[in-house]
Amino acid sequence: MKKPALLILFLLTVILLLSVVRIYISNQIATSGVVLGDLEQKTEQLKIDNSELAQKVYAYSSLTNVAAKAYDLGYTDQTSDYVLSNQVPVAIRQ
Amino acid sequence: MTWRYKLVLFAVTFAFILVILRLFYWQVVRASDLSAMGQAQYGSTVKIMPERGNIETSDGFPIAASKISYLVFADPKQIPDKNLAVNSLTGLLNVDPSTLSAELSLDRYWVPLKDNVDIPTKQKIEGLNLPGIGFSQQYQRYYPEASMAAQLLGFVGKDAQGNDKGYFGLEGYYDRLLQGKEGVATQILDAFGRPILTRVNGTSGATDGDNLILNINRSIQFLVEKKLKEGIKKYGAVSGMVGIMDPKTGNILAMASYPNFDPRDYQNYSEDLYKNPFISDLYEPGSTFKPIVMSAALNENLITPQTTCPICSGPVPVGGYLIHTWDDKYFPNTTMIQVIQHSDNTGMVFVAQKLGVDRMISALNSFGIGSNTGIDLQGEVSSPLKPNDQWYPVDLATTGFGQGISVTPIELLDAIGAIANGGKRMEPHVVAAVQSPDGSVIKIAPKVVDQPISPQTAKVMTEIMVNAVNNGEAAWTRLKGYRIAGKTGTASIPIAGHYDPTQTIASFIGFAPADNPKFVMLVILNKPSAAIYGSETAAPIFFDIAKDLLAYYGIPPSQ
Repeated sequence: MKKPALLILFLLTVILLLSVVRIYISNQIATSGVVLGDLEQKTEQLKIDNSELAQKVYAYSSLTNVAAKAYDLGYTDQTSDYVLSNQVPVAIRQ
Repeated sequence: MTWRYKLVLFAVTFAFILVILRLFYWQVVRASDLSAMGQAQYGSTVKIMPERGNIETSDGFPIAASKISYLVFADPKQIPDKNLAVNSLTGLLNVDPSTLSAELSLDRYWVPLKDNVDIPTKQKIEGLNLPGIGFSQQYQRYYPEASMAAQLLGFVGKDAQGNDKGYFGLEGYYDRLLQGKEGVATQILDAFGRPILTRVNGTSGATDGDNLILNINRSIQFLVEKKLKEGIKKYGAVSGMVGIMDPKTGNILAMASYPNFDPRDYQNYSEDLYKNPFISDLYEPGSTFKPIVMSAALNENLITPQTTCPICSGPVPVGGYLIHTWDDKYFPNTTMIQVIQHSDNTGMVFVAQKLGVDRMISALNSFGIGSNTGIDLQGEVSSPLKPNDQWYPVDLATTGFGQGISVTPIELLDAIGAIANGGKRMEPHVVAAVQSPDGSVIKIAPKVVDQPISPQTAKVMTEIMVNAVNNGEAAWTRLKGYRIAGKTGTASIPIAGHYDPTQTIASFIGFAPADNPKFVMLVILNKPSAAIYGSETAAPIFFDIAKDLLAYYGIPPSQ
């Protein structure tokens, strides 16, 4: 009769231990939802910021904008090209 | 076994069968209905629109992109002070107060107030802390280079269901690829069945659209649009267009037309401006067509460059009509080289008659005249050639110098591109590659459509066109030092059964450098008023653009 009592005691201890572990883990992850929510919001905000920055980059680097800025700064179209038609030797052997 | 035991067994078995049947009914037969009912109690499904793909030029710059914007909506039942909401929102949303007031008075849980609201405006509204106002993210098309390549791009409008849909140009042709696949999400409801604002869960199935990477070179496109606009203004033309293609691949490097429209604000422009005239407008090409007919005759060995024209000493009578040269100057016994150089209509009548109807039709088909080129843009048209038995002698004669036959500018550009490419005609293509959201890229390979002439004929025809540039009517404006092949065109405009003597379509087509072409270009001016001839209007624009293109490609003069 002693053996079954020991077995029951052992099982109860295991159940108790597992319950404690479960309570501890639940306690640890209970607020993870909030963290996940924050991360989701941050991701969303980064996407929006990225989109806004991309728009700014496109606006500044558009040829329409660059040409207008160049004109304001006094740049003009190149009217003629200078071409070296013959290959110039680097050094002539005397 | 007693009969009572059997009865109990039967009753229990029967009861089990009934339960199983009922379970089958609820779990199999009515499963989808119950699932829908449960879903409806928990929340309602809302569409999640995917981000439309970008359209990028060859340097990776998006000329059409999507930006984040918001749909502002309201739950009127949650707004205690409607006057405050109307007064606060009317200025920010730029909506009439009476319209806003009417929307907020509706007996609904969800009312859309304004779409395409930008991020700063959304932030201002959020700062007001108004109860019952929510936001739904959406995407709005925008164009960083404004109206650049507008007719090439097309625009994004709405379909009958109110969803985004591409119309015209690339937006129309590649709409299914660009739009992606819409997803579904659940809008969570509270115990009373009211939507909980800003809580949308369980997004699934949405796939963003593919990006298109174009062959269009942004710098060349910008340059061409600028020069074309200046040219139209300078020569007092009604409209104009320019197309530039790499003859070796069929890649479209630039395609511009003016006047155009702003795709952001397309509703405020005439619908006539939506279509791309380079692929949708038919016109009689005039003398720019002569190299096609001449090269067909050369290819058939019916003539040689030195063949003399026996009928070029005066106007030629054909089928009851008298065909003149454009300036009423005649050159007896002129060679085929000089026929192209002087743009001699009588010489081309001789060439066309040498070809005959059957060979003419066969050659034109091979050059792609009378059929769509297959360019990847929405709205391409073509005018099929007449059947053999409907060609009168005068039709054959006038086709020789590009009158009485209708083509689109892209057809002509592609056909002359075949001469530049050693006789091989390529399929013109605007899109170089398609990039899916996962980053994988599918490249579109160049495609040879036909070989209308041999490489030898192409070489001979190129020399004839180089001579036309150096010694023809447009010689005054040519680029000295470069070998450029080209041909002027001054086409009469048919109106009410005859040709208008005062108005023309002036054009110039050519390619450079003649020995190893980097580009083939067609310039067209519609009804120029400063001068009616292509050599005095379209040709200077052609050479002005060609000069910058040769410098851009770093090609030095060869002579």
